[in-house]
Amino acid sequence: MLDIANVPADPVFEPTAIHPKRGEQGEVIQIQGFNLRYGAAQALFDNNFSIERGLVTALIGPSGCGKSTLLRCFNRMNDLIDNLHISGHIEFDGHDIYAPNIDVIALRKRMGMIFQKPNPFPMSIYENVVYPLRIDGVRSKAVLDETCERALKAAALWEEAKDRLDASALGLSGGQQQRLCIARAIAGDPEVLLMDEPCSALDPIATAKIEEMIDELRGRYTVIIVTHNMHQAVRVSDNTAFMYLGRLIEYGDTHAVFQNPQRARTQDYVTGRFG
Amino acid sequence: MNTATIDQAAIQAVKVPTAVVRRSTATALSARGEPFMWALGAALTVGIVMVIGFLLFVFWNGLVTFVPKPVAVVTLKSGTMVAGEPTRSEFYRLSPDAMRALPPAEAEKMATNGGYGHRTLYRIGNYDLYNEDFRWVPDHVVGNIDYPKDVIFVERLEWGVFVGRIKSVKIGDRDLASPTPRDPALLAAHEEARARWQTIRHIERDLIGHVNHDLEALRLDVRHAEIIYGPSSGQAEKARAAEAAQVPALKAEYDRLTAEAARLKSIDQLNAITLADIAGKEKVLPLSNLVRFYPANDLSFFDKVSIYLSRWGEFLSDEPREANTEGGVLPAIFGTVAMTLLMVLVVAPIGVITALYLREYAKQGRLVSIVRISVNNLAGVPSIVYGVFGLGFFAYGIGAHIDDLFFPERLPAPTFGTGGILWSALTLALLTVPVVIVATEEALAAVPRSMREGSLACGASKWQTIKNIVLPRAMPGIMTGIILAMARGAGEVAPLMLVGVVKLAPTLPFDGYFPYVHLERSFMHLGFHIYDVGFQSRNSEAGKPMVFVTTCLLIGVIAFLNLAAIVIRSRLKRRFAGSQF
Repeated sequence: MLDIANVPADPVFEPTAIHPKRGEQGEVIQIQGFNLRYGAAQALFDNNFSIERGLVTALIGPSGCGKSTLLRCFNRMNDLIDNLHISGHIEFDGHDIYAPNIDVIALRKRMGMIFQKPNPFPMSIYENVVYPLRIDGVRSKAVLDETCERALKAAALWEEAKDRLDASALGLSGGQQQRLCIARAIAGDPEVLLMDEPCSALDPIATAKIEEMIDELRGRYTVIIVTHNMHQAVRVSDNTAFMYLGRLIEYGDTHAVFQNPQRARTQDYVTGRFG
Repeated sequence: MNTATIDQAAIQAVKVPTAVVRRSTATALSARGEPFMWALGAALTVGIVMVIGFLLFVFWNGLVTFVPKPVAVVTLKSGTMVAGEPTRSEFYRLSPDAMRALPPAEAEKMATNGGYGHRTLYRIGNYDLYNEDFRWVPDHVVGNIDYPKDVIFVERLEWGVFVGRIKSVKIGDRDLASPTPRDPALLAAHEEARARWQTIRHIERDLIGHVNHDLEALRLDVRHAEIIYGPSSGQAEKARAAEAAQVPALKAEYDRLTAEAARLKSIDQLNAITLADIAGKEKVLPLSNLVRFYPANDLSFFDKVSIYLSRWGEFLSDEPREANTEGGVLPAIFGTVAMTLLMVLVVAPIGVITALYLREYAKQGRLVSIVRISVNNLAGVPSIVYGVFGLGFFAYGIGAHIDDLFFPERLPAPTFGTGGILWSALTLALLTVPVVIVATEEALAAVPRSMREGSLACGASKWQTIKNIVLPRAMPGIMTGIILAMARGAGEVAPLMLVGVVKLAPTLPFDGYFPYVHLERSFMHLGFHIYDVGFQSRNSEAGKPMVFVTTCLLIGVIAFLNLAAIVIRSRLKRRFAGSQF
């Protein structure tokens, strides 16, 4: 996938520049010396950084830099891929998520994920939202109803959907579908929300709604968002990690990374000189 | 001079701008592809026309079979009379000997036709009198053709059709004076006789059958106890005591029923009709032996419709008689539908589970590829091979062991150790399982990865994801596979001939005797019925109309089963169709 030998750029990388921490709730995910390769092609090289609890962290970088790959490692979505090799550690709340005794299903219940393209299930809106509860075997109508309403309100979809909860979710618009997917993730009561370019398939108005919603989720959830859109990173994130060719180049407070980058590559990327 | 030379060189050095050759914008016909499209369209049209033509041919012949036809009375030049339904006519080439035997005028006429004569096939019936049902009558021997109104067409329980006139009718101890086919007294007596015949049949088959079944059950109980516990054991003693206690009552009941049947039969003999064929040969029949009779040349439109419908009713709701060439096909309809549904019950879970394992759980590698290729190739194995396998493996293998273990008292008569509806369904399930596997695998592969990831990201296990998201989404595709399997299985005959289909099944696989479902029984099948009637009966000419009707029916039954499955599929599909606003 990513053949480093064919990339004309300077193969010399300086060590990662890490800005001072800004959060007060400690760290939720620690990435330590994490490498990943698909067969012979290495996608991630020796990543070391920590995601701070309760903040919104943006992962930015040009296409193929490994930011989505890294995000999908957090809830082990990459397990579905054959021939995947990893080394190093990712710790979630102090436990190595790649340890052999880890319960992947339990891990995914603590981390909601929103994908690039909205992927509502072919069911009613209601059933989509309460899907995580159905999985857990929750039968109580009251609990289901209450969770549905709470999740849809948190995802700013309640007003639009409350009168048609029994209608098919596939009848919603793209932006509504994506907010439905966010509601579904929230209904599972996760600690971390992983968002893989959640707005790339949406128009500006739907994007604005989702960004507004992310802003409200801050504090209650740790949000990690992969984005191609640097303006979006500036608008929604507290911390930004800039990745390039599988390496973390610079990480820290969003304003510091964008306005006072420590590395020339970061400077070039955030000012639009390449990317 | 010098300057001129230089000028020449300069002129030659200057590049003359040549015309730029642009790409041609014309498109060749072959590039557009229309000729191919026309050829493909023509091929499709030919195919469709052939299929529609075939269906129309079958349905037309099937639908007109039961229409009552007029009976012609042909007086030959020799003075002999032939009466029958004209069935079809054709040109034929006379043999040289036959030509020489003709009168000169006729022979000359034939010669101008190139040696061809014309002849008509008459359904003359009266097989018991003349040993033939059909007779060819060449045109040149015909003197006169007439359609007399008093000629009747009779369908009998035995010996097939009778064509002739009513001579006399005896109802009880009185004779009808100058009986006609429309005589109300005759019609009433006929109806009564038919009802009486139904009663006799009910007594002989159902009531006496029940007594026999109870007697047989007692005998089997004794034998079972003797085999399992030993002939001198307490259990055997008890069974023998039970048999001794119950047999007298059953025997008495048997005698009572037989006497009742005999009484009814003696009444039946008192109601008789004497028929005379066109030449005057007489035949005495009990009235109950007449299924249907009508004056073939004296029918109103309403009469024709009612005869037509009554024949269809008999065909759909009665049992076959006369070596299957007459009567109904109810047992065959029942057997076909029951066997097909049983097959679907077996093939659907096995096929879907296999495909799920292959696609979702098995590690994709060489072994899975080999399995997949093998499954695909299974669909190409000739079906008769499956029949041989089914007979050897299911009936003689598994079935024989079941008999040894559970039905030792019935041996050496096999219970499961011979062909039956269960083994047929299993054999056809084997035959059709590749179709279901392939279709299910395709359907599973078509479920978008994003759906699975969405479910897994919610914390669903792999099984929950498959159950809640993948399977419902793949269901229309799976249904398509099941429909294809059903269509293939319902029309298959060759393997069934080895594993359970019979010409005439005495009992249905479902009845009122415990345990009500008898999957070990052999059964009748419409496909085999077609083969049997068309090619195995004593008179293929008589069977031909039944072949068309039965084919119609088989196509109808399969179409109905498929339609039902398609309706279910479209309901499933609608659930996944987009907007509902």
